[in-house]
Amino acid sequence: MNSGKTILIFIGLSAALLFLFVADILTGPVNISPGKILSLLWGNHTGDPALGTIVLDFRLPKALTAILAGAALSVSGLQMQAVFRNPLAGPYVLGISAGAGLGAALVILGFGSFFSLQQVSTLGSWLQIIAAWAGSGLVLMLIVIVSLKVRDIMTILILGILFGSAASAIVNILQYFSQQTMLKAFVIWSMGSLGSLSLRQLHILLPCILFGLIMALLLVKQLNAMLLGETYAKSMGMNIRLSRTLIFISTSILAGSITAFCGPIGFIGIAVPHVVRLMFNTSNHRILMPGTILTGAIVLLTGDIISSLPGNDIIIPINSVTSLLGIPVVVWLVAKNRRLSTVN
Amino acid sequence: MFEEKINIRDLAVGYNRDSKITSQLLSQLNLSCKKGEITGLIGRNGTGKSTLLKTMAGLLPPLSGEILINNQSLVSYDRKALARLVGFVSTEVPAVPSLKVIELVSLGRYPYTDWTGRLTQSDRDIIHQSVKQAGIENIADKSVSEISDGERQRAMIARALAQDTDILILDEPTAFLDLPNRFEILRLLNHLASEKEKTIIFSTHDLGIALHEADTIWLLHNKNIVTGAPEDLILNKEFIRLFEDSTLDFDDDKGEIRPKRFYVLKSGLKAEGQIRFWTAHALERLGIEIVNEDEDVNISVEVLNGKTVWNLVDKKNRLLAHSVYELCLFLKSIINQKV
Repeated sequence: MNSGKTILIFIGLSAALLFLFVADILTGPVNISPGKILSLLWGNHTGDPALGTIVLDFRLPKALTAILAGAALSVSGLQMQAVFRNPLAGPYVLGISAGAGLGAALVILGFGSFFSLQQVSTLGSWLQIIAAWAGSGLVLMLIVIVSLKVRDIMTILILGILFGSAASAIVNILQYFSQQTMLKAFVIWSMGSLGSLSLRQLHILLPCILFGLIMALLLVKQLNAMLLGETYAKSMGMNIRLSRTLIFISTSILAGSITAFCGPIGFIGIAVPHVVRLMFNTSNHRILMPGTILTGAIVLLTGDIISSLPGNDIIIPINSVTSLLGIPVVVWLVAKNRRLSTVN
Repeated sequence: MFEEKINIRDLAVGYNRDSKITSQLLSQLNLSCKKGEITGLIGRNGTGKSTLLKTMAGLLPPLSGEILINNQSLVSYDRKALARLVGFVSTEVPAVPSLKVIELVSLGRYPYTDWTGRLTQSDRDIIHQSVKQAGIENIADKSVSEISDGERQRAMIARALAQDTDILILDEPTAFLDLPNRFEILRLLNHLASEKEKTIIFSTHDLGIALHEADTIWLLHNKNIVTGAPEDLILNKEFIRLFEDSTLDFDDDKGEIRPKRFYVLKSGLKAEGQIRFWTAHALERLGIEIVNEDEDVNISVEVLNGKTVWNLVDKKNRLLAHSVYELCLFLKSIINQKV
């Protein structure tokens, strides 16, 4: 592909992102005229204060969260696919999201009572996000340890699913023993939502995701070298252990942070990188990485718009929307690559 | 000229599985490679060829002893410096669907580019040169998954060339390739050694190719390595030893491997030149020993009305064969009667 076409796609993606961002703010259960919203966004706060609250405190953070979550989950999927050299890898499939969920659940259900209303507590939010990082990091470490012994990619994927199920099982036990108020908060969390973040939580989420994404951008050269497998990467002078650790830290921060605040959001991580590969027709992460950030944000903004389409206060859980969008892509992938077995 | 690039002293190689268990495959190796020389490492499967090559490429730590590259110990080089000195091509086939050949070759610039991996003009020039040297310009824009095995091997070699190293180590570069491709790859390596003064070490179990194209052979047998020009090793009867415990034999006159024969019949053969050679070739296959004095069975070749015919005479019959195939059919029936 020539560079002119690549630039054209990037311009198209950026335009689509901007358009969908505005469209996401325009849509919602309450009907507000576009003109009013634009003037509110422009800083004109005269008029109905309730409308201002809806737009500025609810829709704007939700749209920003959609962008952050879409980019973060897709990038972590891209990283996992490169490290495990497996087209079916992703934070959800490998159980990384479930690990993060376990960490978050421990905080929401276990320690939640200490921080009364965790929604308003900054400390509680930080605890929740750090616990999610630890949970996702733990699952990643388990997968790495197993992948040292087992080379077969399908086995590793199945083990990832098992680790994820184990984490979910522990969460179920926790639910059984927890107080009702905490349980309700947890059930809402577990359905996955982009709209439940307070501005305070967004203030925590934004720097974390930016940090994770910048780290990912700094690691594109390593991801490229990993395409050929560890032997080649090492023979070209790469420090495998360091690079892999850095990539895992980035993935844990990205997938962990989003899962901590938005709950599990599936299949974005697997599907988006493939769509981007198809679009740009390349395996070069210097192009794939920014492409994945943009496309991930676009896909989740679209998902968010779809989730509020029914109107009348009904919102479909975002996890259902992304699953229904992502699973066809995964099915297509499996059908296309019948020979997915071992790569090493 | 004759500058020593690689010096191996008392090297032991193997895998360090745990701190307790080490599986040592080869030990007390003392070897060297000169600049611009192409060395073929030959040995049976599972004798440690790959392990030795990986150790020489710095991918595995030596169990003991040392490897000197340009008179400096390999382990003392930092990663980047070593990657600019030694290139490695393994048997691994990268299964990256949307990776283009040119992108694959560009990956070889890894030790030279900055942290972003951006290619400078001089990087691009070297990538272009490498593609040209490996003879894969016509497939540069194709995806790695669309090209043939031979082309993929060339692409992997081009990637190693883009790494711009003095030393090139290749593990089984001709595995999975058909005969013309095998010779093409070796000719490419030979060219790189003689024209670009690269020091090349490759492993193979394809004896014929190694004998034709290598300057030096490292013959790995019974945990020991014998070195020399291929011709030296033939003259010193080293190759025959390689097949002692197998069903194969090495023909010192022709420089080729053949199955060990147990003769079931003796025959005289009166023929000249090419016809004699190929008739003997067929007799050999049937387990017939060719002897000089007249035996129970005799074959003589003559030209009858411009056509070659084989006269087969034994105690009972006198048969006329019009092709080697017919001759073989007659001989088989004679052998069957004997048995």
